[in-house]
Amino acid sequence: MSSQSNQPLPEGYKLQGYTIERMLTCGGFSLVYLALDETGNRVAIKEYLPSSLALRTEGDVIPAIPKENLAVFRYGMKCFFEEGRSLARLSHPNVVRVLNFFRANETVYLVMRYELGRTLQEHLALNRGTMRENFIRRIMTLSLNGLREVHTNKLLHLDLKPANIYVRNDETPVLLDFGAARQTLIEQQYKLSPMYTPGYAPPEQYKQRDMLGPWSDLYSVGAAMYACISGQPPQPADQRVEQDRYVRAVDQFAGRYSVQLLETIDWCLNLDHLLRPQSALALQKVLLRERDPEVTGRRTFIVSLHSALSRLAGE
Amino acid sequence: MRFLIYQESRQGPRKSNQDRIAYSYSRDALIMVVADGMGGHLHGEVAAHVAVKFVVEAFQSQARPRLADPHRFLIDSITNAHLAILGYAEGENLPETPRTTIVACIVQDGMAYWAHAGDSRLYLIRDGRVEVATKDHSRVQQLVDIGRVREEAVANHPDRNKVFNCLGQGTLPRIDISRRTPLRSADTLLLCTDGLWGALSTRMIVEAVLRDEILKAMPELLNAAEARAGIDGDNVSAIGMTWLSEDMMDPLDHGNSISTKTMQMSDTATQTAGFGDGTPREFLSDDEIERAIEEIRGAIKKAV
Repeated sequence: MSSQSNQPLPEGYKLQGYTIERMLTCGGFSLVYLALDETGNRVAIKEYLPSSLALRTEGDVIPAIPKENLAVFRYGMKCFFEEGRSLARLSHPNVVRVLNFFRANETVYLVMRYELGRTLQEHLALNRGTMRENFIRRIMTLSLNGLREVHTNKLLHLDLKPANIYVRNDETPVLLDFGAARQTLIEQQYKLSPMYTPGYAPPEQYKQRDMLGPWSDLYSVGAAMYACISGQPPQPADQRVEQDRYVRAVDQFAGRYSVQLLETIDWCLNLDHLLRPQSALALQKVLLRERDPEVTGRRTFIVSLHSALSRLAGE
Repeated sequence: MRFLIYQESRQGPRKSNQDRIAYSYSRDALIMVVADGMGGHLHGEVAAHVAVKFVVEAFQSQARPRLADPHRFLIDSITNAHLAILGYAEGENLPETPRTTIVACIVQDGMAYWAHAGDSRLYLIRDGRVEVATKDHSRVQQLVDIGRVREEAVANHPDRNKVFNCLGQGTLPRIDISRRTPLRSADTLLLCTDGLWGALSTRMIVEAVLRDEILKAMPELLNAAEARAGIDGDNVSAIGMTWLSEDMMDPLDHGNSISTKTMQMSDTATQTAGFGDGTPREFLSDDEIERAIEEIRGAIKKAV
């Protein structure tokens, strides 16, 4: 269809008891609004509106969906329902809370609690390369609380990245955007076209989707931490599989951050999912410095040191 | 009606899941359907998908809230599902018609009625043992009937996968119909594919079902089947339903039961499993959208 973008609902528009204040973000799949509920509380409302399939023009409320797009439009709605289903089951301070879900204007809406703050992506843009280590550890440790809740419910997030980690003004994070979440831990129920963000998605998300597990979200956590210190995500995993140009964080950023944090990032970013932390809890313990990461590089170093020493001893 | 129900479909070590299962209920009637798409045949999962979808949709449109004649319904909807599979194969110009087994069970007015074609099974478990079970339409079952093979040897018999009657075959399928069977409180109906019964003995199945409340017993039963089948395992799918008295104080009810008492006359609620895998893109109907929204709203209320 055309490259025209969708017009947001107008300010002051009444949507099932909510009053639209303004549009917050606009993606290819949906629009997010800031709105007020009947009691005057602020909420965020996500509207399913894939720009390639449906077009709302200036002055209209109901989007025009060409007849030939209707089937695909409705099929994509399943994805939106998946997000609703996933989030509705989760009630955790570090996971965005869904308040309502309804149908209007020929499409569907997801109402979420609105909180004051900004995304980690915005933080990253503001403090390029100067993000404090303690801040990174704090945000990630708390985000992992939310992720543990996600995994406990047999869900995977599958699209973790700084833009989906929202940091409240009190420096506590909330995980957002469960549009890619799947009940992969139970069974591969929905094989929709895979969604991922280059640089943050683990290699198994491109090809070996049956290998997905908690470790897949932890690759993304590692990539998000990498972005926090370098300003950008690592080389996309599909390219890394072809030709790995990833320079270990320990070698790149030594001196600016503790070796323990840098090793933790390298640990998460192992292409081999078995070499990564296997659970959010395992990673959390390391970020809390209760343990050291199981870095394979260092282990081989110790092994080679060991053999060098025994060779010396032998001679 | 008041009952406990659990269903799950697992892919196991296979490359795809060709099983499809679903249950649906109105105020006065419940249907459970299990279909196992046949792997040797092209698009087995499509046949299972079409069959389950067809039977459940017929139920949704006719059980408002009662079926006029449950036996008639089973024969008609399963026959029509067979024809729908043939129609699909023709429409898509498939070189070979996809095939599937089916077992479906209706409960209405405290009576159970079931029908099957192929080797997916139904067991009625009562007082700690199998009261009735379906008889497979398989070569090996024929051998059992003439006394050439012992019942216990079926699961390991080399011919156990040879099904001679199923939906999607060239001739009209034979549909075996049960008698009208009154259910008693605490009876359990188990519908399953051969991935389950092929991996476990009848005794193990009964013991696993009775070990705990059905909602907890079923996942364990599937675990056991998967563990026992190992790397050569099949897709494993089952629906377990324990019938309860209308009495709110039923000792078997720990607050997880479904009661249909407050449902509207025209309502149905449906759960499916195994769907959405390798199947054609579907048009989401208005009803399906409404149901998804209801489900999400229900979950939101529950989690608050």
